[in-house]
Amino acid sequence: MIDLNQRTQEKKNFSNRLTVVYLFFGLLFSFFLFRTFSLQVSSYTDYELASLKNKTREILIQPRRGIIYDRNGKIIVNNKPSYNLILNPSKINNIDEHISKIQVLINISEEDILFVKENFKRKAKLNRELILKKNLSAEEIAKFETRRYKFPNTFIDERYSRESIYSGLFSHSIGYVGGLSDDNLEEILNEQNLSPKETIFKYSNGYLEGKTGLEKVYDKRLRGYFGKKIYEVDASGKLLDELEEIPARDGENLYTSLDLNSQKVAYEKIDGRRGAVVAVEIDTGAIVTYISSPSFPINKITNGMSSKEFSKLLNDKDKPFFDRAGQGRYSPASTIKPAIGLYGIENKIIDWEYTIDDPGFFILPEDKRVYRGWKKGGHGTINLMNAIIESSNTFFFSLAYNSEIEKLVEHLSNFGFGKNICMDCFIPDKGLLPDPEWKMNTLNFGWFKGDTVNMGVGQGYLSATPIQLAYYSAFLAKKGKLDRFSFIQDANPPKKDIFISNNLKDQDWDNIHNSMIGVIDNPKGTAGRLKNLKSYKVAAKSGTVELVSTETKEDYKIIRKVEGQRDHAIIIAFAPMPNPKYAISVVIENGESGGSVAGPVAIEVLNSLINSE
Amino acid sequence: MGLLFLYSASQGNIETIIKQSFFVILGLILMFALSQIDPDFYKNNALFFLILSILLILLTILFGKEVNGAKRWLDLGFFTLQPSEIVKIALPVFLAAYLYDKPLPISLLNTSISMVVIFVIVNLVRIQPDLGTSLVILIAGLYILFLAGLSWKFIGASLSILILSLPFIWNNFLEPFQRQRIITLLDPTADPYGSGWNITQSKIAIGSGGIQGKGYGSGSQAHLDFLPETETDFIFSVIAEEFGFIGACILLCIFFFIMLRCFYLAINARDRFCRLTIGGLSLLFISTIFINLSMVVGIIPVVGMPLPFISKGGSSLLSFYIAFGIIISMATHKKLMQK
Repeated sequence: MIDLNQRTQEKKNFSNRLTVVYLFFGLLFSFFLFRTFSLQVSSYTDYELASLKNKTREILIQPRRGIIYDRNGKIIVNNKPSYNLILNPSKINNIDEHISKIQVLINISEEDILFVKENFKRKAKLNRELILKKNLSAEEIAKFETRRYKFPNTFIDERYSRESIYSGLFSHSIGYVGGLSDDNLEEILNEQNLSPKETIFKYSNGYLEGKTGLEKVYDKRLRGYFGKKIYEVDASGKLLDELEEIPARDGENLYTSLDLNSQKVAYEKIDGRRGAVVAVEIDTGAIVTYISSPSFPINKITNGMSSKEFSKLLNDKDKPFFDRAGQGRYSPASTIKPAIGLYGIENKIIDWEYTIDDPGFFILPEDKRVYRGWKKGGHGTINLMNAIIESSNTFFFSLAYNSEIEKLVEHLSNFGFGKNICMDCFIPDKGLLPDPEWKMNTLNFGWFKGDTVNMGVGQGYLSATPIQLAYYSAFLAKKGKLDRFSFIQDANPPKKDIFISNNLKDQDWDNIHNSMIGVIDNPKGTAGRLKNLKSYKVAAKSGTVELVSTETKEDYKIIRKVEGQRDHAIIIAFAPMPNPKYAISVVIENGESGGSVAGPVAIEVLNSLINSE
Repeated sequence: MGLLFLYSASQGNIETIIKQSFFVILGLILMFALSQIDPDFYKNNALFFLILSILLILLTILFGKEVNGAKRWLDLGFFTLQPSEIVKIALPVFLAAYLYDKPLPISLLNTSISMVVIFVIVNLVRIQPDLGTSLVILIAGLYILFLAGLSWKFIGASLSILILSLPFIWNNFLEPFQRQRIITLLDPTADPYGSGWNITQSKIAIGSGGIQGKGYGSGSQAHLDFLPETETDFIFSVIAEEFGFIGACILLCIFFFIMLRCFYLAINARDRFCRLTIGGLSLLFISTIFINLSMVVGIIPVVGMPLPFISKGGSSLLSFYIAFGIIISMATHKKLMQK
């Protein structure tokens, strides 16, 4: 037992010690008040946000791409709906029973059932949809819809595929769409202040972007804006209530200047041969026909094609993916002659009365090299008008010989050679307008006078794409004032190219037009065969691109045994004269004769454009 | 009030509430009954209660119900008893009964005997494993020793040894998941979706409550399952989320008031046994509160500690009713023998 004294001391001791501990807890208590205060009051906004972010989930809604129309409002590329049967797994208790009930109405493959069973639990847990069957037939849809009250957690959903109504007709102009790489997706979503997330797709193929042609050039317009659905979610990511929906904004429709009818005619007439047709409305620079042949089926590229089929297309020696109209380089050959003639007039080297004697060849004074014309014995005494009609080489050799190369290059550049004349083409090629500097830099050779002489008949290094040739044709038709080309006029402010000349008069342009009309209508014209294919006057200039240089017709007969060595056939034309509305260029590779092979294609396309009005 | 909180925390689970209500009623009855008994009864039978609770723990270790890898519960048919909750009360009462007539300062022998008893029990609970409760028991035992007049020399020496042996404890006594919890505590943001999840979500819950809270039953953190263990460990987060700073303050103040009241009772208790018991039990109560709160605001690792009188869990609830029954008994039976 402890005595009283000790007890008092013990009590005091106890009180002291208890006070120490309680003081400690008192401090702790204040600390907790402070801590709770700092969490709930000072940092409230941060945690409020974190809590909000926790409990909501945004799901993106894919927009539909715009529809693409031709100039008459006919649909070229559309979003074709397909119908899928969708389940809502979280509200279905017995999936086997559910499927067997549906199977009475709609046949469902073993594969689909397996897929559903494998994913059912997970999707149910997260409250996500599950596709039971894709691409329902009209009959299946009807069967289901009439009895849909029996299946409360099953519905039919629309999904789209991007389809061109004319699969081969617009392969190079409109191009195709394809899947999106993660980087591109992130970039697109960043532009719209979104980040990559779960998405409700409108397309069966998922994310899409334009890969080539107008689909690519106008991808941003066509694409549209993603919408959002905001859901409340729990910690496991299960969707609970939908809180808000911001609908997707579908892409803008694209109204092109392409003319469906002329596309069809061009495609039909070129008939799978390697080549290109480009036609434009002269007053606006609107591209109405744009065909590169052979073509390929864009629907299959977009919506699936076997790898065998694809590699066959890829390895085809005719290179169907190659856009000859915008990227194929061809020598303009004799089609250049009107421009060279105008150069002579503009620089007063010749006038319309000036004549030369054409023996059928031209000898370069410097090295005595012989440059031949196509007609044995030549065209005799000949002026500019007839030199164009009959396509005298000697006349233009001689004219080019008397030209200064720098001036000539500048002159030709006005006609669109060596530059991009299209405002919304997909990777347009500039062709090649060679000058001495270019030759030195790339070939490491000085410029010969012979190079200039060759340029006079559109041979040698000079090359142009079919769309550049169409531009050149339209530029001649409009007498040196022309709008840059485009497929969609309202997307591009018009840009006019004007040829500032010192000496050219309206009469000079008219003379050129008349000489080009003579190419067809004059008995001596090189494209006389086209005369009866039309009911209006057409100004034209044909050309034959020599791929292998030959001295005589006999030599050519030997080399033409190999198809790839045959001459390319080219024609440029504009009509109806005297007030031309359309200009066209046609190139047929290894077609041999500009007048009789490329010519009929050009006339038929012009007919389709002019006669339809 | 606890029931009300629990209803929201358990997401409107009526069954939980009915069960808890049963324990509340049982607890109140028990508390009233225990408060009628003279303190000397506890003093005289302390050893018996301790041995009884130790036996229960041994039974649990041998035949207990395994939940989440821990054998903490003894299935008694109508409810599962957690004997470690009982020993939590029995040990301080026993120590107070053992030490109340020992002369001051407490001899090394008495200290050693007390320490041995504490460590045996702590380790029995620890191997269940139930780290949280074993720590509370350890603390409760040490409170009594401290209040009974443990010499400062001994305290100093023990603390030094404890600090020196920390690395050894870390390597040999802690389970990997326990180590992970401590690492998480030091930097919860390092792995917010892994082991830091609980603390991160708890802080978001408390913080997003703001001043007024989101309203009863509208705590998104609690109701959308972001917050773990809403009915037990993290119930304070739920209260703070739904009732805001005001609600949290009121709750803290109620606890603080109980704390002060116990301090007053302990100081003015009728004899040394009562002083020690009230002091020890009230400190046990307060410690449990602060361990729980420290846990939910991310100051200490998650150890599995309920908030007294509020969290779900029959054994814990009953044990605190018992503790307060005893405290009330000691506060009301005053003047029988003024020595």
